[in-house]
Amino acid sequence: MIGILQWTTLAVCGAVAIARIPSALRGQNRSVFFVYALMTLVILLSIEAPYMAVDRALGGTNLANLVLRFLIFAAIFLLGLGIARGFGAEDAPRRITGPIGMVMLGTASLVVVVVFLMMDTAGSSTGLVGLATKDAHHAALVEYYGAAGRLYPAYVMLALLPAMLRTAASRLPGLLRLSAGLMVVGTVAITLSLLSPVIPPSLGILRFIFNYTAVLCLILGLALIWLGKARASRT
Amino acid sequence: MPIPAKAFQAWLQGAAPAVSTADICRISGIKRTTLAQQLVRGKVAETTLVSISRALHRSPLKDLSSFENYAELAGKLQPPTPAELVSQIATMDLLRAVIDRSAPERGGRGGNGIPPAGPALGPAPHATAVRNWVDAIDDGELRHRVSAVTGVAPQNYSAQLTANRMSPELAIATARAAGVGLTGGLVATGLMTEAEAGWPPGAKQSALDALSDGELTALAGERLQALGKALRRQEQEQAQTNRIWENLG
Repeated sequence: MIGILQWTTLAVCGAVAIARIPSALRGQNRSVFFVYALMTLVILLSIEAPYMAVDRALGGTNLANLVLRFLIFAAIFLLGLGIARGFGAEDAPRRITGPIGMVMLGTASLVVVVVFLMMDTAGSSTGLVGLATKDAHHAALVEYYGAAGRLYPAYVMLALLPAMLRTAASRLPGLLRLSAGLMVVGTVAITLSLLSPVIPPSLGILRFIFNYTAVLCLILGLALIWLGKARASRT
Repeated sequence: MPIPAKAFQAWLQGAAPAVSTADICRISGIKRTTLAQQLVRGKVAETTLVSISRALHRSPLKDLSSFENYAELAGKLQPPTPAELVSQIATMDLLRAVIDRSAPERGGRGGNGIPPAGPALGPAPHATAVRNWVDAIDDGELRHRVSAVTGVAPQNYSAQLTANRMSPELAIATARAAGVGLTGGLVATGLMTEAEAGWPPGAKQSALDALSDGELTALAGERLQALGKALRRQEQEQAQTNRIWENLG
């Protein structure tokens, strides 16, 4: 079940990223292409087999997981900036690039790196599950590490939630409103994933559902905007 | 409320006993699938009936009034008021009338009593006919009364006006609540032509001619302002759409 969800998401995201290559080469909206490409890498690195392969190549110290965190930050930064410019009012991009946004990004990055360095990260393990079982100290550190990694995406998406809701409720073309609605669902899923530490292990599948729902909704929302634009320019 | 399929079929039997359904659809321009669907659902749209009645060279108004839920359309109907007539003149025709009455050097004929000889007024309904009609008969409380009688929420009613749409049932309820002739809404929504609704030919033109320069200019100004607002909103929405496409598409 989880495997299907992961590979489907990877396939969808990879397909859109590949489909965007020609327009990216022409120089059209490269940042959107980078969002798709980064997201594809992110999903790839969240799946067991590719993660193990990549991490072994990087020395087997779970450095791939740290890379994964920064790929997420980069993707969310670009996506947030696009959403802010597209959906938001004049001042919306400031929430991403302004002081508060930069402090959030800086803090999350710093905490992720520091906590990573505090752990004995030897032994490749997807999602650092293997590290958490070493001892109580590591279990707590892994939770902090995960929380810091989720904090920045949640901040960006929540900061833009009002703009998305406004677009979804507006009188704009239906496809755009659907896109905004999907992104709202993605935002809710990202926010719910903040609750990961308190989700009991028996409901562990919820973690995956939140994460992949978020990615799928954001990717589909973006793809629909592109579809609408392509359709409009053809007529 | 649409017409019950059973009553519709009985009517069709009487109106065109020897004509096949395929021929009915062909002459009236209704898709066969549309008619079949309406019959299966048991409800036939008023527009379907009117199209068929028109194609058979019958009177759509009389035919509509032969159904129980439209029985009040039978008999002698109150004629449209001058305000209703003027409301069914397109904004551009009103503006043309303003220019027409202006001084000769401005392209008009100076309003010296010579009847205008410009192009005839366009047929109803025009792009904002439904809202203009309701505005013309509204005493300020009309929407509340209609809402109380029909149970249609005021915001849904407004949405229909903005979309220049209104069901025939609601149009008649609105006319009744305003105490005007029942056909006004049917013409404004485009269900029937003015002639089919029994409006005298040239009634719109006479109502327009009867407006004083002040009344005409004020009315044209209101319409122009509303048009400007609608256009500006459209432009804003287009700009917003383009912004989204530029940044995320």
